[in-house]
Amino acid sequence: MSKKTYDLLFKLLLIGDSGVGKTCILFRFSDDAFTSTFISTIGIDFKIKTVELRGKKIKLQIWDTAGQERFHTITTSYYRGAMGIMLVYDITNEKSFENIIKWLRNIDEHANEDVERMILGNKCDMTDKRVVSKERGENIAREYGIRFMETSAKANINIEKAFSELAEAILDQTAGKENNDNQERVVVDRKNQEKSPAYSRCCTS
Amino acid sequence: MSAYKSRLKEFENLIIEDEIDIKKLRKFIHSGIPECAKYRALCWKLLFNYLDPKKKNWESHLERQRNNYNNLIKDLVIPPSCKNVDLSIDHPLSDNVDSTWSTYFRDNETFLLQIDRDVRRLLPDISFFQMPTAYPCKLVVDSETDIRLHRRVAPSVLSSANVERKGLGMKKINLIVKRAPENYEAMQKGQEANWEVVERMLFIYAKLNLGQGYVQGMNEIIGVIYYVFASNEDHAEFAEADCFWCFTNIMSEIRDFFIKTLDETDMGIRGMMNRLVRMLELKDVHVANRLKEQGILPQYYAFRWISLILSQEFDLPDVLRLWDSILADENRFDYLIYVCCAMIILIRDQILENDFEHNVKLLQNFPPMDINYVLNRADQLAESSST
Ligand SMILES: Nc1nc2c(ncn2[C@@H]2O[C@H](COP(=O)(O)OP(=O)(O)O)[C@@H](O)[C@H]2O)c(=O)[nH]1
Ligand SMILES: [Mg+2]
Repeated sequence: MSKKTYDLLFKLLLIGDSGVGKTCILFRFSDDAFTSTFISTIGIDFKIKTVELRGKKIKLQIWDTAGQERFHTITTSYYRGAMGIMLVYDITNEKSFENIIKWLRNIDEHANEDVERMILGNKCDMTDKRVVSKERGENIAREYGIRFMETSAKANINIEKAFSELAEAILDQTAGKENNDNQERVVVDRKNQEKSPAYSRCCTS
Repeated sequence: MSAYKSRLKEFENLIIEDEIDIKKLRKFIHSGIPECAKYRALCWKLLFNYLDPKKKNWESHLERQRNNYNNLIKDLVIPPSCKNVDLSIDHPLSDNVDSTWSTYFRDNETFLLQIDRDVRRLLPDISFFQMPTAYPCKLVVDSETDIRLHRRVAPSVLSSANVERKGLGMKKINLIVKRAPENYEAMQKGQEANWEVVERMLFIYAKLNLGQGYVQGMNEIIGVIYYVFASNEDHAEFAEADCFWCFTNIMSEIRDFFIKTLDETDMGIRGMMNRLVRMLELKDVHVANRLKEQGILPQYYAFRWISLILSQEFDLPDVLRLWDSILADENRFDYLIYVCCAMIILIRDQILENDFEHNVKLLQNFPPMDINYVLNRADQLAESSST
């Protein structure tokens, strides 16, 4: 068996309606590629990627879930162990954005209280098909005190960044727990969202 | 070679009878169908109980079933505007909520969109589903207006339907939309791709089973059956109608896999996964313990294995061979559990060696393996259990 080649292990989860691009986002992040022909995810899938943050090797164990209602009993059992959750919607699909509220409620019900959350508005390369403005994404994120980014798995926009910011937030949290002097807490970020680097500008809309 | 020939002869003798001995046939097919390109479609129709063992009943039965299916298309697929509906009382702009039109839009929202996404990405490794069928549905492709199902969920149509749903008035509904660029795969007038046929069958199935609707994964199951029928010259002409009824029959056996509220029952998906775990504990306790210690739940891999009858775990030709045995088994979903158990045992050495992540990856991406090897192992497991 291989010996431990990392300092920390973070478990992340991708959720959101079916078809918003979760599998593509994960594939872009883990294999740096895009194919438009993924078969639908049934149940749950799994990928690993190791990143380096502040001199620490962090292994990300990322679970990709099926979006359809039928699979919720199967997928919500993974919420509990997750340290970070990415909620994905599709900027060309109004319904998937409206459902973000539903997914947030799911997190409240099933995940750990201190789980780090991030909302992603995916497919931001499809400017001519956009129906959800960036402002609406930002507003809902502000309302719930969550990080937000627009991404494109296809054009490789903000994918890497989304994962490393989520990982960084978890790292802050774990560091904060270990050491109370460390004031670089997530809560602080949340109060300053406007200036926070989490609010990166992607596709100018 | 001569062993093969005598096997073929034995098989042909079985199916030449006026009344086919289904019990014998099942037993025979368990070890594969000879000349499968020629005979598989027929055998599956028998195994799905779609064809009666008595051949004299075939003609009238098939005619009736195909007619029934055609009527379903007329009732459920052809939009109200193409029928003789009195436009003054049931017009898209009417605000009668029970109107045929509002049903039409509700269906778009609830399941057609999901079906549409899934059939477009059916078995992407083969080109079959993107190719035109030689037997398109005339009612649809020859219609004056474009009434293909996927047009109803094209982005522009959908957003109009959304406007209606939000109560901003129905005036915005505009059914005459330009073809969206992502519909480029759609065929020319008079033609239809195989995925469009699958879309129609799933749509009709969902409309007839509203309580269950469409669940992701059904596409994979119906895709396999349709492929077998439509790629056989003798069965291609009525592949759609025949496939629809065979799918309906198999769904009546496995529908519990697809219903969330039945997850915990014996035939529900969790019941099946528990059976797999118990079997593995009996057959190879080391591996079973290893998986348990690492916290690798059957949900991580067996959920998909079982609910899709292994259709995503192997290449298509192997899936077909596997389904021959599973469909031929009288207790067919017991045999499925044996196959799953055999798959785990065949990679036991790696499982005992690997850490958590590698094991999850291994189980979620089952390594290429001779399918006969897997089936032999499953047979051994089944035999050792029955004695
Ligand atoms: N244009 C565009 N299409 C995308 C993007 N991400 C995913 N897609 C497409 O959206 C569809 C669904 O993607 P998938 O990852 O399977 O969605 P999932 O159901 O959420 O896992 C596929 O056809 C992808 O090609 C993106 O960033 N841009
Ligand atoms: Mg997916």
